[in-house]
Amino acid sequence: MIKVGIVGCGKVADDHVALIRTIPDCEIVAVCDREELMAKQLCERFKISTHFNDVKSLLDQAQPDVVHVTTPPKSHFEVAKVCLQSNSHVFVEKPFTVNAGEAEELIELARQNNLKMTVNHDQQFTTPARAMRELIAKGYLGGPPVHVESYFGYDLGGASYAKALLGDRNHWVRQLPGKLLQNIISHGISKISEFLETDSPNVIAHGFVSPLLRSIEEYDIIDELRVIISDSERFTAYFTFSSHIRPTLHLLRVYGSKNAIEIDHDKQTLITIRGSSYKSFLEKIIPSCTYAGQYSSNLVNNVLRFVRRDLHPKSGSKYLIESLYKSITHDTPLPIPYKEIRLTMKIMDEIFSQIYRTE
Amino acid sequence: MKTDPIITHNDRILITGASGYIGPRVVEKMLEYGFSKLRCFVRPSSDITKLEVIVDKNRDLDIQIIKGNLLKPEDCRRAMDGVDVVYHLAAGTGDKSYPDAFLNSVVTTKNLLESLKSNRDLKRFVSISSFSVYSSMKIRSGALLDETCSLESEPQLRYEAYCYGKLKQDELVMEYSKSSGLPYVIMRPGVVYGPGRSTLTGRVGTATFGLYLHLGGSNRIPLTYIDNCADAIAIAGFTAGVEGQIFNIVDDDLPTARELLRLYKKNVKSFFSVYVPHPISYLFCILWENYSNWSYGQLPPTFNRRRWGAYWKGNRYSNEKLKNLLEWKQKVPTDIGLRRYFEFCRETGGTK
Repeated sequence: MIKVGIVGCGKVADDHVALIRTIPDCEIVAVCDREELMAKQLCERFKISTHFNDVKSLLDQAQPDVVHVTTPPKSHFEVAKVCLQSNSHVFVEKPFTVNAGEAEELIELARQNNLKMTVNHDQQFTTPARAMRELIAKGYLGGPPVHVESYFGYDLGGASYAKALLGDRNHWVRQLPGKLLQNIISHGISKISEFLETDSPNVIAHGFVSPLLRSIEEYDIIDELRVIISDSERFTAYFTFSSHIRPTLHLLRVYGSKNAIEIDHDKQTLITIRGSSYKSFLEKIIPSCTYAGQYSSNLVNNVLRFVRRDLHPKSGSKYLIESLYKSITHDTPLPIPYKEIRLTMKIMDEIFSQIYRTE
Repeated sequence: MKTDPIITHNDRILITGASGYIGPRVVEKMLEYGFSKLRCFVRPSSDITKLEVIVDKNRDLDIQIIKGNLLKPEDCRRAMDGVDVVYHLAAGTGDKSYPDAFLNSVVTTKNLLESLKSNRDLKRFVSISSFSVYSSMKIRSGALLDETCSLESEPQLRYEAYCYGKLKQDELVMEYSKSSGLPYVIMRPGVVYGPGRSTLTGRVGTATFGLYLHLGGSNRIPLTYIDNCADAIAIAGFTAGVEGQIFNIVDDDLPTARELLRLYKKNVKSFFSVYVPHPISYLFCILWENYSNWSYGQLPPTFNRRRWGAYWKGNRYSNEKLKNLLEWKQKVPTDIGLRRYFEFCRETGGTK
């Protein structure tokens, strides 16, 4: 039985608790929040026995095997560090840390203490994302990926925290080096990091304020980002973050030398894109038929998954949490290699240094 | 008024959430009742246009607008300094997030109450709650729902974060009353309507599935026109002898869901709706709730028995306590209130 602790009892913690309770052989032994009332409400709603208002008490008294860090990003490093020092494995909500230096220090500490640690990049573990990884491993692309396009859309109008962020000049998101982007883009960047071989990719970033934000005289928050990432001459990637583009895309397209694959995280679809063309007019007929067939197949799969209660919006997180726990109990490899976490943080650092460069 | 008010016209009055939907009306009511020292507490991001208009019209009075965050104890202390009565209207809707609703209703209230501990002269703390805290699970359809009815015992199962936040806020206020002698009054408005709000209450029905499902039928809708509601809240802050009381706020002459829907279609916009009889909507809620539980929330438990009980089971409502203890009278008749509401809905397009 894995004993789990939760640090940070805000909105995100609800998702973690709900998912952990569906996983066999684990139990949430205690939760913690600096605001004791917040810890108490989480305990009360989910019938958890113990709560604390400081991390050290949780670690000393409840002695969890693994701690989920669901505090605001600025405190991820300090909380995760004290957990690792107390011999607890750690699951950190995204973004992993505020910068690559902190990430490096945590990874080193985890290694030294022989502890496991991961970050909640859940979109990489949805059913289509895992199917894509299998196809790539089987050589569908015709070799390693050559180019990736990662799109991450964000609806500023619909997100309650974005509203709070835009209205409050002291909101914690504004204090982050990358501001709004820091809290969101790691999902889209990590999908690219997965395929990088180098430790130091080239990054060219262009950021600007969307017309929507400019219309409300918000000039401090960059909410439009276009990035080119390259790994010498072997691999390139485009990353697009936008609050303006409609539809709000959460899309990944991976190109190989032979074929390509596209996954849509919102629609939970995977489409394979054949690299070679059909002869003459057949190219205008057959691909449409095969796409129609693939979308039909995705439809059937999704309906079946719904019936099997496997179309949960947080299924990627659940898989990731289960994988970390399995890694702890069976000493299997971590679901996200440290190299990927490190690269994601490095790329983000570079993006923010370029777009928020002070003259 | 049977007795003298507990405060004089020169006492300092704090109104939190003063820029919200009800807040500016409460400010206006207090001015109408002759109070001249008001402190309006608003979030930094709030639109304070309405309040500024009120301040401009009353330049000879001492009306302060202060910006701050009730999650910051220092802002709470600043707001509470030298205050005699507090109208605590600030709250978080939380949408579907229980922690957000809790943070913005309960933690904020705690911060405010903590800063009150040093204020021994406070004469009244008026806490604004909601009708949504009641449970109809144990009373039959058509029975009277008043201040004596039981509260929702398992709000986490209702899938309504606002209800949870308000229940816990009420509990907190009562705890502080026991531990620190807080002189409180809790006000529970029904469905507040009027200009400024263009939605048709969910007690009438839902458009969740594209098609408008009319679920209310012959149920009475516990409406309270915004001015009437603000008036009740205002009176609760200065009427003597009502410490520790809870008041429901509903108007007289409440329309049924069917009547309200018909009037809305006639006066705002026409749309197609399908009436769903109560046994069928109840069965639907059971099935939805069970599926949600079985699937570990693959579909959120938006429709469930507790919500059905609270919104669509159908009850009678009373404002007798409001009239008897606060001497409240409905100043804007329901037909006039509805006319103004429909006018606003027409101008803004209305929302089902």
